[in-house]
Amino acid sequence: MPILELTSLSKHFGGVRAVDELDLTVEEGEIFGLIGPNGSGKSTTVNLICGVLPVTSGQVVFEGRDITGRQPHRVLAAGVARTFQNIRLFGYLSVWQNLWVAQNSMEDRRRENFAKRWFFGSGAERDTVDEQLEFAGLIDKRNELAANLSFGEQRRLELARALAARPRLLLLDEPAAGMNLEEVQALDGRLRTLQQAGVTIVLVEHVMELVMGVTDRIAVLNFGRKIAEGLPAAIREDEAVQQAYLGGNVGTMHA
Amino acid sequence: MDWLDFFQSITDGLLFGSIYALIGIGFTLIFGVMHKINLAYGAASIAGAYVSIAVAAYVPLPALVTFLIAAIASGAIALLIYLANFRFIPLASPLATLMATVGMLILIDEVVVHATDGMPQPYPALFADIYIEWGDFGLRGDLIFIFVLSLIAMVVLMFMLYRTRLGIATRAVAQQPVAAQLAGISLDRTNALTFVITGLLGGLAGAMIGASVGVLSPLLVVPITVKGLIVCVIGGLGSIPGAIVAGLAVGAFENFFLAFRGVTERDMYVMLLLFVFLVFRPGGIFSRSVARD
Repeated sequence: MPILELTSLSKHFGGVRAVDELDLTVEEGEIFGLIGPNGSGKSTTVNLICGVLPVTSGQVVFEGRDITGRQPHRVLAAGVARTFQNIRLFGYLSVWQNLWVAQNSMEDRRRENFAKRWFFGSGAERDTVDEQLEFAGLIDKRNELAANLSFGEQRRLELARALAARPRLLLLDEPAAGMNLEEVQALDGRLRTLQQAGVTIVLVEHVMELVMGVTDRIAVLNFGRKIAEGLPAAIREDEAVQQAYLGGNVGTMHA
Repeated sequence: MDWLDFFQSITDGLLFGSIYALIGIGFTLIFGVMHKINLAYGAASIAGAYVSIAVAAYVPLPALVTFLIAAIASGAIALLIYLANFRFIPLASPLATLMATVGMLILIDEVVVHATDGMPQPYPALFADIYIEWGDFGLRGDLIFIFVLSLIAMVVLMFMLYRTRLGIATRAVAQQPVAAQLAGISLDRTNALTFVITGLLGGLAGAMIGASVGVLSPLLVVPITVKGLIVCVIGGLGSIPGAIVAGLAVGAFENFFLAFRGVTERDMYVMLLLFVFLVFRPGGIFSRSVARD
């Protein structure tokens, strides 16, 4: 069953067609790779899905519901979360507060009374934050300002924040950028764990070791259009894809 | 110049400066969260105080309740300003909302002038009959009351911003608006709430100005708008501790010049202080603002 369907989704900036008539279907439970050269419209697509940019035309359907043009916080409430290509943590909040403020799972929220909902939160919620910090390996840093974390820690915190509201679809925008091989392998493991926990993942990435290893299917964008879609092995051999990457071999591509 | 007069003028100024601090916080908070200046804020503060004496004219009220009504009325006006001047106006254009709030400032001013025929209205003071003396040095009871009330308002605000979900969500929006929305925080609601909070503080400040001056007049609107902006710049745009320190400092500074150079010269020195800061420390007292990345 498809969890996310984009139908002829377009985004024009003036005369530039950043995303052009894009059709994409992501099945529930899979890790879906979205790749393409710089400026091919990957990040724009993510921004359109989660409501950060207004759609020029087309539709975004999540779990059978049309979420096109919804405000970002309502997209999150529907069950879609994301991380950012350039990390966007709340730098002057503590690590713990970064997660606390993101505990916006709707089922939990509705059960709370006024004071808990708006002012002090619940004890159970505080325990949840601690658990999530434990999982992210950041429990020792709970009182640090997020801005003072190392790069790798910031990436982990951002992922933890995206997971805080327990999304069913997770959009990751270049999560491996700037990571060394060890960190990429750790991320690979983390993504598989999430997949087993039932989270569907759309992975926008340049680091091919990660994309080719972890994804179930891949779509390739170029100039806002989809030029190929299929299993990782097939994408690696695809003529049009290799052309798009300036004749390079996808297997050795780095960005 | 005699030292006693010096200390007397500085102390009175510091106490009165707590009002400037509240007004400065109002400007700085909206700037911190939305990167916008709400020029109608001073007018909303004074208008709130006017509403409170209008209510008090029909129902006899204790002065403290009058103050609270002023705060609530100003909070409501601030929400109205948000809806009229920010909610439906494209925020990407830096001038659109600024000009809208200039219009709102003049509109509120005109409504007040119309409703009162431009006549100053007496405002009830609290503890005006108390005077604490140590020899020739003394403290006015109403100024002490103003100072304490401002302090309470600031402590409540800081607690809210640094310890509650709502406040932390507000700071999250100030630091990363897009990421905050994608963490499930509504931008509209946060912005509206910020306006209401600044309105509550402003209304309290408006009432306290009325109480310490003894009257309310539309002529108060422009000076407190200007002082509020100066405080906000000296303290560092977006910095609440900065606004508090700068508010007290500007109060002391202007009262010193009031005592020694007279009322007609006072504001010239305050303006000079502003330019000194803009030249030598343009980022304000606390160069890194607390709310922003």
